[in-house]
Amino acid sequence: MKTKITLLNKTYQFSNLKEILAKANEEKSGDQLAGIAAKDAQERLAARHLLADLTLNDIRNNPVLAPEEDEVSRVIENSINEKNYQSIANWTVSDLRETLLSDTTTDIEITRLRKGLTSEMVAAVTKIMSNLDLIQAASKIEVITQCNFPIGYKGTLSGRAQPNHPTDSIQGIKASLYEALSYGIGDAVIGINPVIDNAESVKQILQMTKEEMDRFIIPTQNCVLAHVTTQMRAIKNGAPSDLLFQSLAGTESGNKAFGISVELLDEANDLIQKEGTSAGPNLWYFETGQGSELSSDAHHGIDQVTLEARCYGLAKKYHPFIVNTVVGFIGPEYLYNSKQVIRAGLEDHFMGKLQGLPMGVDVCYTNHMKADQNDMENLAILLGSAGVNFLIGVPMADDCMLNYQSTSFHDIASVRSVLGLRPAPYFEKWLEKMGIMENGKLTERAGDPTIFM
Amino acid sequence: MNNKVIKSVGIDIGTSTTKLMMSDLTLGRVSSQFALPHFDIIERKVTYVSEIISTPLINEEEIDLTQLVAWLEKEYLQAGLTISDIQSGAVIITGETAIKKNADALIHYLSERAGDFVVAIAGASLEAVLAGRGSGSYEHSMKSKGIVANIDIGGGTANVVLFQQGKILETITFHVGGRLIEINPSGKVLSISPSIRPWLFSKNLQLEKGRLLSLTDLTKISTALAVDMLDCLAGKRSIHSLDLLVHSSSCEALPRIDEVMISGGVGQLTLAGPPSSIEEAAKYNDFGPLLATSINQKLIDYHFQVIKPLQTSRATVIGAGMQTTKISGATISIQANRLPLRNIPVIKISLSVEEIERNLLIGKEMFGSNERLPFAIGLSGSVYLTYEKMKDLSLVIGTLYHKYFPRSEILVIVCENDMAKALGQALQLQFAFDVICIDQINIGHGDYIDIGEPLTETIVPVVVKTLAFRGESNENKNNFA
Amino acid sequence: MNEGQIELIVQKVMEQLQKRFTPDHNIARENVKEIIEKGLVFREQDWKTSIPQPAFKEGVAELTASTPARIGVWRTGTRPLTKTMLKLQFDHAAAIDAVSSEVLEKYLEEFNLFTVETCYENKEVYLKRPDKGRVLTDDAVDTISSRCQKRPQVQIVVSDGLSASAVETNLKDVYPALIDSLKINNLSFGTSFFVKGGRVACMDHIGDILEPEVLVLLIGERPGLVSASSMSAYMCYRPRKGIIESDRNVISNIHPLGTPPIEAGAHIGTVLRRMIEQKVSGVKLEL
Repeated sequence: MKTKITLLNKTYQFSNLKEILAKANEEKSGDQLAGIAAKDAQERLAARHLLADLTLNDIRNNPVLAPEEDEVSRVIENSINEKNYQSIANWTVSDLRETLLSDTTTDIEITRLRKGLTSEMVAAVTKIMSNLDLIQAASKIEVITQCNFPIGYKGTLSGRAQPNHPTDSIQGIKASLYEALSYGIGDAVIGINPVIDNAESVKQILQMTKEEMDRFIIPTQNCVLAHVTTQMRAIKNGAPSDLLFQSLAGTESGNKAFGISVELLDEANDLIQKEGTSAGPNLWYFETGQGSELSSDAHHGIDQVTLEARCYGLAKKYHPFIVNTVVGFIGPEYLYNSKQVIRAGLEDHFMGKLQGLPMGVDVCYTNHMKADQNDMENLAILLGSAGVNFLIGVPMADDCMLNYQSTSFHDIASVRSVLGLRPAPYFEKWLEKMGIMENGKLTERAGDPTIFM
Repeated sequence: MNNKVIKSVGIDIGTSTTKLMMSDLTLGRVSSQFALPHFDIIERKVTYVSEIISTPLINEEEIDLTQLVAWLEKEYLQAGLTISDIQSGAVIITGETAIKKNADALIHYLSERAGDFVVAIAGASLEAVLAGRGSGSYEHSMKSKGIVANIDIGGGTANVVLFQQGKILETITFHVGGRLIEINPSGKVLSISPSIRPWLFSKNLQLEKGRLLSLTDLTKISTALAVDMLDCLAGKRSIHSLDLLVHSSSCEALPRIDEVMISGGVGQLTLAGPPSSIEEAAKYNDFGPLLATSINQKLIDYHFQVIKPLQTSRATVIGAGMQTTKISGATISIQANRLPLRNIPVIKISLSVEEIERNLLIGKEMFGSNERLPFAIGLSGSVYLTYEKMKDLSLVIGTLYHKYFPRSEILVIVCENDMAKALGQALQLQFAFDVICIDQINIGHGDYIDIGEPLTETIVPVVVKTLAFRGESNENKNNFA
Repeated sequence: MNEGQIELIVQKVMEQLQKRFTPDHNIARENVKEIIEKGLVFREQDWKTSIPQPAFKEGVAELTASTPARIGVWRTGTRPLTKTMLKLQFDHAAAIDAVSSEVLEKYLEEFNLFTVETCYENKEVYLKRPDKGRVLTDDAVDTISSRCQKRPQVQIVVSDGLSASAVETNLKDVYPALIDSLKINNLSFGTSFFVKGGRVACMDHIGDILEPEVLVLLIGERPGLVSASSMSAYMCYRPRKGIIESDRNVISNIHPLGTPPIEAGAHIGTVLRRMIEQKVSGVKLEL
């Protein structure tokens, strides 16, 4: 494998693939914090030139984290279809980029390609793609999944209703849920982040959301984003959960910090298949986000884009209904400003889609990042153009429980309106029945939560 | 802390029947690991229900204590529990039984022997609320837009509570019950309760003991009774115009009721069909089945939507056993050796200054005879307290309390807001008396409160008796003496 | 105390209380005049927008009362109304200012706190390099070594963290309530001080230098929009290098509209006493 490159008269020597991958990244404060980022713009470009010229074979043969040492590596390695891989093994990363962007490469062709790609190859090509490249390539890929009802069709944009409350008040959660539904949001999932991580509390929230879904015959699915073991206990106690949720990391040790392992996920998967309340076949909701491995000191010197791609490699094993990258939640030490958040959002969406995942993005920021609501609106429109499956809907974008800002119900309605996107088909029919939407447009009645009282 | 289970008992001694239930109340943390600890009852489960027996009486005026205690002992045994297992609960003495000669003595006797922290409660209003909680009306009101009335009709009274979205709006109690007129299977009148006599007189429905009545005669009475009560609930007649039938009411006029649930023994009978003969009507030796039938038939004429209750005969006992115990906040100041404290009157003080001294004086007037612990101070108001304000407040309360009750060794404060630990500590540091300062309990003026021994180092069970036990039983006595 | 003394105290305190609890009507009257003179005066209710014709009128208040979330705000087309949007931007402005500002000296002087710094250099480095906020400067090490009592039972440390206004808003309530709770629990405490540019784990470095039995750090949290002035109290038994997250206990969201500051302060003493009794902190501590 080539590790040395001379650009004009300057020579750059890298020690291994891991270093090339890290230094080829767009500037991210997380890579700088980890001490693996390019030291200047030219070194970054040197790494990127070298990376563009490496073959997929080079990448597979030089694992950033050996399968013997890490179960996530093993899951990714085991998922490869050897025939498909062999047909592209000699492609350079540049070839892969140009193929993905070529007019003649269709979604069907990408489906075939994907079977031969490892997460590291996906990360590699992402590093040599511009923002518009990421949008263009991702927009070709349609990933349709079904829990109770299918979402992800081209021309649609779904929303997660995220009616969180600072003390898990059932009434308070319900109030924000009504507001979400009245704006046509909630087709991806009604998903609550609980404050209290215990089975009884989780069960109560699941029961309330299920009752509301039954009362108004809402074509969607419910979920409470507690730790997977808490949800398992709640389900065993009879809680009506359509989806299982878990946060994922791109390394075994990162997952250990989350209190999970592949074995635990397998066990949970068995449970939801047997005792979940939904039609399926897709019964998981995963969340990821660049920087989480570094924050738990489980990054093994690997850059955060590559680690993020590996999360998707692990997610794929469980055929999730939705995957959400919480792109700006983690803080400025990983993504410093809006430029980095926007880049990461587009990268994650593309990397997930290329690996066949139903990607949504929590377009968000915390108050100590150099970003504001305008930046989120920009990224939301970019992702809408890229064909993102869903965005997160929070009342006026301000999550009063998690203390960060995301996208609002208004924002999702606006992205739909500007780009001519519709809610998921069954949900749109329901909105019409409720008098909230007509011909893809909100009616006079929309925005009034009391219609559900 | 792992979830803790509290065993709770409910005992309902009514005009015609008596019953008991046991339940498990599960205590769990309801705040996150990053917040101040806060616990609540997260699950209530019925573990045992007794048979419904006839309330044992020695004569019309006295309850048979010996028989009642023997029955309770048998039931505890059958439930597999001993008195020391029971950590909370309530004995409620309802309807006409509450006016029996030895009721007062009985209820306190029982509460002290039924378990660790079993409280005595009585009063039509409380009974109405407990029945409404036990029947499922309260839960139903949380999901309903309108006002839900629970009408619990037992042997002696009909206790009505109005809920809206889980809030108690009003209560009203009528002299309407299945056992007010006792008859034998041939229709002979065995007895007529004194509480119904004035109403019968006003309606020209004179009855006397020993007279033989036909099914039609009796139906006429039960229908008139049902119509008057329902007219009042529907707002067609004023509460005032029916004062012969109204036992007590929390208001002058009721708001419009949208839905009704009927619980209690008569509620249970409304689920059966109408009796076809006088023998069938008199199968319990009273006119309960006929009253149930009349209510059922007349309800159709009103705008109320009738909702099926989850519990009928046992609504009150379930309410008493499962719904009386509350849990204090978990950041409080207590001296465990001072607990339990039973039946403490509450003097409520809002955080406006003039009121503090005035109310302490009122409290001295009313309860000053008990020098050791005259009353508990209820602190209301949702004003945000800075440390400085809290310190001043503690100084005023402590100094005045010491001034007016120099012999008291203990000060009890119940706050609505989460501030008991800070306030309690400040008082402890400044004054010599012991301080029990608990919070996150809503109380009102005239309430009585029981505070149990700590369940964990920092949580105590609390029972708030919303209408004064003594106050109301006195009122009953005045009315019917 | 004799009767006369009591009367005197009560009277004095009553007068003070009277002033604090009663709104000053003169000020209110002046406001009317100021509106004309100063132009727009915005109060909380002036940001409120509402649904013009709700299906269930009484329901709106019920919904909005049940959550601090920004609901029932209405829209124009698919966009929020102007005041709703300005309110969001205003709250964000308060949050970013809380991150970038510094604690004024007078708030620290009230409790005789002297100031030392971590290696954070400046606000940008502070945000990008949390590791630097975990280590005190050499000067700071010298200062606390010479000025602080060594091996105290309880060491109290205050830090701005991510919100200077958290310290300014809450310290005056949390700190004295905490001191009360130490007294009630029979705990003694050492020399308290303020750390500028601190991260939670600066506890470990301070622990290595002063070797307290337990340490409590009152530190400004990442500001949210509901409150830009939220404080956390981190507590640890024998803090030292190598301590992991799960070895610490925390009470978060301390501010006037969240966890009440005086109650949080009052509770800390109990937690610290248990740490000392059980010789452990974090998830293993039984509370």
